[in-house]
Amino acid sequence: MRMSMPPPQPTPTTRSYRCPWCGHTADAGTTSCPKCGAPVDVRKATTDSGWAELPPIRDMAKIQFGQSFCQIEGKYVPVADFKLAAGDGVYFTHHLLLWKDEQVQISSMPLAKGWKRLFAGLPLIMTQAQGPGRIAFSKDAAGELIALPLEAEQSVDVREHVFMIATSQVVYDWFQTGIWFTTQNGKDRETHYPIGMFMDRFTAGPTPGLLLLHGNGNVFVRNLQPGQSIVIRPTSLLFKDPAVSMNLHLEYPGGMYGAFRPWGRWSNRYVWLHLRGPGRVAVQSHSEHMEDPGFSIHSTEPMATSRQW
Amino acid sequence: MDPLQRIACDWCGGQSPAGATSCVACGAPLNVKNLVSDSGWREAPRLRDMSEVKFGSSICQVEGEIVPVAEITLGGRDSIFFEHHVLLWKDSNVRMDVMPLQGGIKRALAGMPFVVSIASGEGRVAFSRDAAGELVVLPLHPSMEMDVREHAFLLCSHTVNYSYTRIAGLRNILFGGQGMFMDRFVAQNEPGLLILHGYGNVFERRLAAGESIIVEPGAFLYKDSSVTMNIETQKLTTGFFGGVGMNLARMTGPGRLGIQSMYHHHHTD
Repeated sequence: MRMSMPPPQPTPTTRSYRCPWCGHTADAGTTSCPKCGAPVDVRKATTDSGWAELPPIRDMAKIQFGQSFCQIEGKYVPVADFKLAAGDGVYFTHHLLLWKDEQVQISSMPLAKGWKRLFAGLPLIMTQAQGPGRIAFSKDAAGELIALPLEAEQSVDVREHVFMIATSQVVYDWFQTGIWFTTQNGKDRETHYPIGMFMDRFTAGPTPGLLLLHGNGNVFVRNLQPGQSIVIRPTSLLFKDPAVSMNLHLEYPGGMYGAFRPWGRWSNRYVWLHLRGPGRVAVQSHSEHMEDPGFSIHSTEPMATSRQW
Repeated sequence: MDPLQRIACDWCGGQSPAGATSCVACGAPLNVKNLVSDSGWREAPRLRDMSEVKFGSSICQVEGEIVPVAEITLGGRDSIFFEHHVLLWKDSNVRMDVMPLQGGIKRALAGMPFVVSIASGEGRVAFSRDAAGELVVLPLHPSMEMDVREHAFLLCSHTVNYSYTRIAGLRNILFGGQGMFMDRFVAQNEPGLLILHGYGNVFERRLAAGESIIVEPGAFLYKDSSVTMNIETQKLTTGFFGGVGMNLARMTGPGRLGIQSMYHHHHTD
């Protein structure tokens, strides 16, 4: 007896969608990118100057990592609600914890160079939570959650106190920013760090990971081409790719006030952060005021530049 | 009216006429799906700009979305009470009084509002808090008791009895993140309206009897009086002076529990 083979069925054509934010390719039928939560059906809004506005993650959107999920809830101060599978874990700064199931175990994560962290004002305690179970986090300011999926071995540099949560596949490290200047008032000298003394660096291990940041206000991202540069308010920096170099940039205004600068103790100036591509740079629209007492600058970091208008 | 021509509100249980787009009792949009997370937290209904809520012979209109304003049109027999610093503006003919409060010295020492003001109709008066967040409209039915974090209530109708309850247990007082007292609102013989301001976004879940969840104490916003709160300390070791303790609140049902997502302590004075 001869078996008759069924006629070949046409392969269903599936429409795929490439997320403009994280580059992940997903089924076009979804309403948000499963890797970073960016809405699929919202056109990328880019300003004339080249900044792309990060589309707010839609209320109740889900992001998948490993066997676990993160659901984003709320609009003004969004909550990251994690459903951790057994074996999956996250780490976070402990004051961000909003609520948790009883069975989720939390413990402190050992951090190297604790004394330096203590003196630099960095969080001394990094807390880790292990699945299975649910745990949720939020920050204490109105703004946006930024989900940064990290491919294997990919790194990103994050300004201090911006970090919220990372999955256990992501390695946490930190480095000196090298952005500083010293002012002199009589015999007193004071060193200022416009973006902090240290910066966090997150690197995915052999497997991809997920990093969640919080931006105050709205968040804007741009991709700098090799050699392309921009100056920004130092406290507005959120994150950058490690390939983006940075240095301090001082500008002195022209006109009457600028003319008095060499003779006066008080000097009118703008303190900027100069960033040079290639790579991504993200800024937040609501940033804290940067303290600058206005005293004469005694010295600056070696790569600092200045301009007199 | 024919009961079949009414729409029941999922948030407060109130009934509104057919065709209404928001609940007349709490302002919750009736034509928007409930937003419930997989973990069981329900988002407080996002009140539509300019939506109206009725209580007694008065109307509350909610204006704005980032720092919403509650604008009250008081009927002739109605009054509302509030902490004096949340008053935004009022008609000149709206009468102002101070509510007599028991335990004034205790309240002053505990940092609770020492002066609670009363505005009486007729006329218009408006209120807002000093941070981005949401208004939570809680219609109170007779015999309903609600405990609210101190400095979280925006205004309340005069039919509701306002008192305070001392938080039990020294640990709860020291590490509960809200001092010694909580506001307690009890609707007695008549229904009333309580409006809170939650910082950031507000979420609610209904705990079954004996069910418990662990929350950051600063995130607690309100609860039914049947929900109990106990502080537990999670030890985190760092190698520096033995580490620190992290204080978390175990909330145990039955009843509703409301939390806010922006739980940094905000000074309002």
